[in-house]
Amino acid sequence: MIVAEQKSLDEIKSLIGDAERVLVVGCGTCVTVCFAGGAREAAIVAASLRMATKLDGNGKDVTDVTVQRQCEWEYLDEIAEQIEGADLVLSLGCGIGVQAIAEHFPRKWVVPGLNTSFMGLPTEQGVWAERCAACGDCVLGLTGGICPIARCSKSLLNGPCGGSEGGHCEINPDIPCAWQLIYDRLSALGKLDLLMAIQPPKNWKTSRDGGPRKIVRDDLRLGAEEE
Amino acid sequence: MDSPQLHIIAYCCEHCAYAAADLAGGLRMQYPPEVKIVQIPCTGRIDVLTVLRAIEDGADGVMAAG
Amino acid sequence: MAHIQDLLTAIGLEPDRAQMFNMSAAMASAFVTVAQEMTERIARLGPNPLRGPLDTLTDSERGE
Repeated sequence: MIVAEQKSLDEIKSLIGDAERVLVVGCGTCVTVCFAGGAREAAIVAASLRMATKLDGNGKDVTDVTVQRQCEWEYLDEIAEQIEGADLVLSLGCGIGVQAIAEHFPRKWVVPGLNTSFMGLPTEQGVWAERCAACGDCVLGLTGGICPIARCSKSLLNGPCGGSEGGHCEINPDIPCAWQLIYDRLSALGKLDLLMAIQPPKNWKTSRDGGPRKIVRDDLRLGAEEE
Repeated sequence: MDSPQLHIIAYCCEHCAYAAADLAGGLRMQYPPEVKIVQIPCTGRIDVLTVLRAIEDGADGVMAAG
Repeated sequence: MAHIQDLLTAIGLEPDRAQMFNMSAAMASAFVTVAQEMTERIARLGPNPLRGPLDTLTDSERGE
């Protein structure tokens, strides 16, 4: 899932500025399950903003609504009327949700209520950890399902650096060394021979280094057959 | 009473604090009239929003008792 | 409860307006004690500043 964290109420207040009618839009997917921007959080942020602005002497009209997914136009169409009726939209979606609203409602001012952090999973209740860096050229088949791009601080591809100590990373001892994890897992599964192959330099063009990415599927596009 | 009437909402677990308050009533013990009891099945029922809504609607204090 | 109190502080309210108490079903006097304690604490803080002017009338002003 995409993992995000809420901005402080002070930062949200300054982003809202002097807008009077504010619509807080929650998202029912990733940020709901990481407790940052779901229906419950949208209601809490809206109530907090109503109270905080009233105490500041200028109570704002803050309402909230939550859609299944902010990253698809169809779901945004359902709340088009509410969005048009607001001076400002505070999106509690990830960065994609904020941009989807901005793109779909060109005349509406949209601000983010979250900081989108990473793609990861909950390792225990209340703890989320990064697992994927979306490099566009998956190497998990070589590394026993442990990603050296996302989980090694240096994204190394041919084993640990000299700073791996007692299974921990030199950047931060709280981070387990990804290459230690990879070695332990391949060793337990009897597949250490996989590590003998030297990996050529990775083609980072499929990652962000090739600029913004896009996938086009002609088999799915409407009208593609006639073209 | 010439200071504004205060309202304190007491969310009470029906198995613990609500029963204790009930017993206090049975024993004719007095407690401040500002405290208004709301019976809930368990204090786990209380959410951040439960408290925020009470305060937004004008409660002066909120107690969770269980 | 600590999270709610932090949120109240961020909103600009006194965190003490929300409190948690524990007791058993047999503790009638404990209930009376915490009810008194909470009432005194809130009386010191005064009325919730979010209340409208009508809500903050005293009983005599309201004609009760």
